[in-house]
Amino acid sequence: MEASNFTDHISRRFNKDIEDLRNSVLSMGGLVETQLSKAIAAIVSGDSELGLKVANDDYKVNNLEVDIDEECSRILATRAPAAGDLRLIVAIIKTITDLERIGDEAEKIGFLASKLAGMDRPADSYRELKNLGSHVSHMLRDAMNAFARMDVSEALEVVREDELVDDEYDAITRQCITFMMEDPRSIKRVMNVTWAARSLERIGDHAKNICEYVIYMVEGRDVRHTDISEDIVGE
Amino acid sequence: MPGSSRRLILGVVGILVAGGLIGWVYGHAAWGLLVAALVILLWQTRQLLSFNKAVQTRDFEQFRYGEGIWQQMFSRYNYEHERALRAKREYRRLLKEIRRSTDAMPDGAVILDEDNQIIMCNKAAKRLGGLKRKKDRGQRVDNILRDPKLTELLRSNAFAQEIEIPSPVKEEGWLNCRVVPYGANQKLLILRDITEQIRLTKMRRDFVANASHELRSPLTVISGYLDSLSEDVNLEKDWGQPVRQMQQQARRMNTVVAELLELSRLESAGQASKDEVVDVSGLLAAARKSYLGQDDVAEIEVVTESSAQLLAAGNEVESLISNLLSNAVRHTPADGRITLAWRVANGGAEISVTDTGEGIPPDQVPRLTERFYRVHRGRAREDGGVGLGLAIVKHTLNRHDAELRITSDLGKGSEFCCRFPAERVVLEPPVPILSGGKRG
Repeated sequence: MEASNFTDHISRRFNKDIEDLRNSVLSMGGLVETQLSKAIAAIVSGDSELGLKVANDDYKVNNLEVDIDEECSRILATRAPAAGDLRLIVAIIKTITDLERIGDEAEKIGFLASKLAGMDRPADSYRELKNLGSHVSHMLRDAMNAFARMDVSEALEVVREDELVDDEYDAITRQCITFMMEDPRSIKRVMNVTWAARSLERIGDHAKNICEYVIYMVEGRDVRHTDISEDIVGE
Repeated sequence: MPGSSRRLILGVVGILVAGGLIGWVYGHAAWGLLVAALVILLWQTRQLLSFNKAVQTRDFEQFRYGEGIWQQMFSRYNYEHERALRAKREYRRLLKEIRRSTDAMPDGAVILDEDNQIIMCNKAAKRLGGLKRKKDRGQRVDNILRDPKLTELLRSNAFAQEIEIPSPVKEEGWLNCRVVPYGANQKLLILRDITEQIRLTKMRRDFVANASHELRSPLTVISGYLDSLSEDVNLEKDWGQPVRQMQQQARRMNTVVAELLELSRLESAGQASKDEVVDVSGLLAAARKSYLGQDDVAEIEVVTESSAQLLAAGNEVESLISNLLSNAVRHTPADGRITLAWRVANGGAEISVTDTGEGIPPDQVPRLTERFYRVHRGRAREDGGVGLGLAIVKHTLNRHDAELRITSDLGKGSEFCCRFPAERVVLEPPVPILSGGKRG
């Protein structure tokens, strides 16, 4: 497996440190994924209790970020890693920031879910949010899988998927505007829906960022702010 | 073997002796020996080369110059080689069979080493968990199946426990995960698709909830008319008893429906929040009070061994206590004794209800919390119980991460003990913030 790139050191402690670090990033990812899916479930099923629980649990994600950050600094200071290891650490420092932001967005969605649960629900019970949500959760899952497997092609897949999410977000916004024009009384509710959609769209962007870090980590090339649709795989 | 060895030795010695003799005849014995030795060397070298060629090409025909011991060595080699080949083929076939049988299993199986890294997985694991057979080898399994619950399960090595996690590949799918010890220091993670079961359970729950709800309104109408009928002075004498009985049964049915609704609410609700601080000893005392002054009720005693408080939904704990107490009262004769206790023990806290009643046969104990289950089929309905009390207790406790332990001695009495985990217990009663005076 490719991950073994990082498990070849003379010092076995260093191996273990790096492996543990990778594992804790992935378990942080797992926690964030669970938070996100719970937040989406809360909005779709109108479960205010679940929504509040998601919002209250965000501190766990934050704590993990702080812990991992500290561990990264420790490794940087004591081991002075080079090449692949250095890229891994740098990528991890950036990844956890994005994961933490995803956690924040999930918290926001959970909070919005508890608000929306108290208002009247549309007949389709937020189907469009559900679709967008499942799309975004997929992206996040694939991004974390790409991170675990150091899989560039899977990462690229996610980067491309982000465009679809952006399109979907646009469609929801348009729909929301139509609703608000038709019935101004619904503005309060629809605004919340817009915010939730906005949060989901942001999560898609963060997932995309994580994938870019994966590409950086494996290939050593920075692909941020570049057009990578026709890139890399061919090499 | 000894034959050919002897022949080789004889041959070598013979040639040397012959060379030495001929040399001696001509006056140069040393030269004769040297020539003989060279001949032997040439002869053996040719055979060695030929042997090498035959071994490399594995062609018996190539071994043309083979004779004596070389011949024997070659056939031995050939025989062993064939045997190894056959064994290898056999192992490969066996391995394929095993692989095919593990692939045919409907449940996903992942073999893990002590660090939870994947050693092998079968096809179902690939299908259910989205694992990749080659790529994920050596990867920790919770790096791919990243559910915090699974990580916790793998870390705790709790082999008896089963958990449910959302499927990483199927939308709205669910997986049941179990870890069993396997070989030396290894573990076997078993994944089972329980999407359908979850769906069925949900359907059943919804059905019960809907049915109870639908039964409620007709029942209200019926009870309403029965109430006014029973108070009707013009009612014919013969009708008095039937109407009373109907009223009684309607009331019973109301209770059943209400408890069913409560049960389905408890089932579908998630974890109870920890926001509310419940004074359990107060609730126990209140529960005791409700039976005060009633005849033919056993003596009830409240033992509070701790001032700890519980983080739980207060009304649910209250109904839990009243359910357990009413059970105890019903099954304990008037000269018996019922003890309600609240204590901190075993890294948590316990509410225990002990009676000196008739007890429960041991084989019935595990079934007590089933809905409508009754120990005594016959006397079932006279005592006023509906048969849902313990089911409600169990679900209430589930919601509070607590467990119910029932111990019972037939003829001597039973103990119902609700054990709450430490994180739901506040040992020190909170100090009121606005206490006025300064605290030093």
